[in-house]
Amino acid sequence: MAGLSIENARKSFGETQVLHGVSIDVADGEFAVIVGPSGCGKSTLLRAVAGLEALTEGRIVIGGRDVTDLPPSARGIAMVFQSYALYPHLTVYENMAFALRIAKVDKSAIDVAVRGAAAILNIEGLLERKPAALSGGQRQRVAIGRAIVRQPQIFLFDEPLSNLDADLRVRMRYEFAALHKTLGTTTLYVTHDQVEAMTLADRIIVLRDGIIEQVGTPREIYAQPANIFVAQFLGTPRMNIIPAVLTDHRQARLDNGREIKLPAMADTLAPGARVSVGIRPEDVRIGAAPDALPFTIRFVERLGGLATVHLQADGEPIACQLRDDIHLIEGQTVAVQLPSDRLHLFDAHGAALAREARK
Amino acid sequence: MSARRWTVTLLAALVALLTTAPLLWMLSVSFMAPGEAAQFPPPLLPADPSLENYRTLFGSFGIGRFLANSILVSTLATVLALMFTIPAGYAFAKLRFTGRDAIFRLLVAALVVPGQIGMLPLFLELKAMGLVNSYAGALVPWLAGIFGIFLVRQYCLSIPDEMLEAARIDGASEGQILRRIVLPILTPIIVTLALFVFLGSWNDFMWPLIILADQQLYTLPVALAAMSREHVQDNELMMAGAVVTTLPVLILFLALQRFYLSGLLTGSVKG
Repeated sequence: MAGLSIENARKSFGETQVLHGVSIDVADGEFAVIVGPSGCGKSTLLRAVAGLEALTEGRIVIGGRDVTDLPPSARGIAMVFQSYALYPHLTVYENMAFALRIAKVDKSAIDVAVRGAAAILNIEGLLERKPAALSGGQRQRVAIGRAIVRQPQIFLFDEPLSNLDADLRVRMRYEFAALHKTLGTTTLYVTHDQVEAMTLADRIIVLRDGIIEQVGTPREIYAQPANIFVAQFLGTPRMNIIPAVLTDHRQARLDNGREIKLPAMADTLAPGARVSVGIRPEDVRIGAAPDALPFTIRFVERLGGLATVHLQADGEPIACQLRDDIHLIEGQTVAVQLPSDRLHLFDAHGAALAREARK
Repeated sequence: MSARRWTVTLLAALVALLTTAPLLWMLSVSFMAPGEAAQFPPPLLPADPSLENYRTLFGSFGIGRFLANSILVSTLATVLALMFTIPAGYAFAKLRFTGRDAIFRLLVAALVVPGQIGMLPLFLELKAMGLVNSYAGALVPWLAGIFGIFLVRQYCLSIPDEMLEAARIDGASEGQILRRIVLPILTPIIVTLALFVFLGSWNDFMWPLIILADQQLYTLPVALAAMSREHVQDNELMMAGAVVTTLPVLILFLALQRFYLSGLLTGSVKG
């Protein structure tokens, strides 16, 4: 096993640059998730680590060894593709044994490796089947099995769950986590699904347009997003962003003229500066209080246990997430609290303003 | 079965009968005595079936030699065509190299030029190379048919890149990927292509006639044509010659029909 470090990776396809100097360090045994919207360069980055795509500039080091110019098979990686990419004419057993057969590994050693991996993944009963006779979840397991058999230093996953239905995705997600606990192999996992990122990662790397926006544990990134993009990318429903003008270092005026109290900020902007106030839907409270603001309920989405309430005053609509046990009527005006200790503040460029030491 | 389905079945049977009738009559006439088929009305079945015509063909006429020539040329043409066409089609579909698409467009454009136009220049070229009157010369047009390359390329395009990348990560070389991953997937199209080439070169008349001067090298169609010049009256003998010419490919086609049809269908119905 080994760590992975990507140093200043740049990649251009003709005129278009898709990676603008990305540097990432993944510690030995860590589960790192690269998350970002489509086209952010995350798959290109993963393919560069795999050796399927050559970097225009930069280095890739695996276990202290510079692998930048090595072919994929010499890098000590195994990759699981979105489409599973199983060999359709080979049985499950032969699919998993393929790499070892190419490497001319001894027959009995291949058998031990394949049956061992099959046992880990609970697919011993499928070994003689062809991929066409497997369900989506089973194919996914075989693809993972094919990766495990090679005992790689690093696992690479390219959106492995996006072809599965919602129910199976949740189950496989759990299994990924369990598998990582069992094997402890360093993992780089690419997804556009923020839930996968939040639930699986030891560390999340948020990528946008070929630039890293933030790196941190899921908690850190959720609690202290570095900018509006990250704040809104992680969390459903997404964080409410309300434009405002600073009137004083603890006070801001919303566009509808209402004043709200702000948390204590470490770096202060001059009064009059335009800022964005962010608050997560679950931090918005409904109920009378001295500093509550009147909002009108436009729409209530009932999700069973929870309800998302879409509110609007004069300006931006905001969403609020509550337990679905309050009687709310669309069109009703309610008192809404935006607790100042739950607020995030961003400057005019969208970068988070550091709060004074909190918590 | 409803009346409508009966009608359709009957019509299909009728068309099938019309199509096979000449073939069946050819077979029947080949067993007739000399002059028997020239009576009016022509008999459907031989009055006294005999193998006399086949004895003449394989005996004094020596058609066995031409049969062997044809088998040799068509087999070589098929093997060589597959050897060149499959890697080329795969490369055009899946490998990245400079000028790939431009070259392919040029090839496809060349498809519309009728083969006959190229015959004279090709003949002169081969003459300069000293390949006239040899099987090497007879095989040249079959080496890498554009249509075959096109067929293999289109089929290869349906192979996902990720599968080849997975094989690359698994440590397979490009040659191993072609042999162990691509070829097995291509089986239906390879059978189809092999049949096309075999039938094409087996039935080819014009090119062997041009390039082969020595009678000992003649393929069946050329030999049969030469024979018909002196035996134009001997319908029964000619029909026996036609049977010897058509039967091997007919059997081959029937044997591989299942693969052949699945090969033709795979382009439209994936899987």
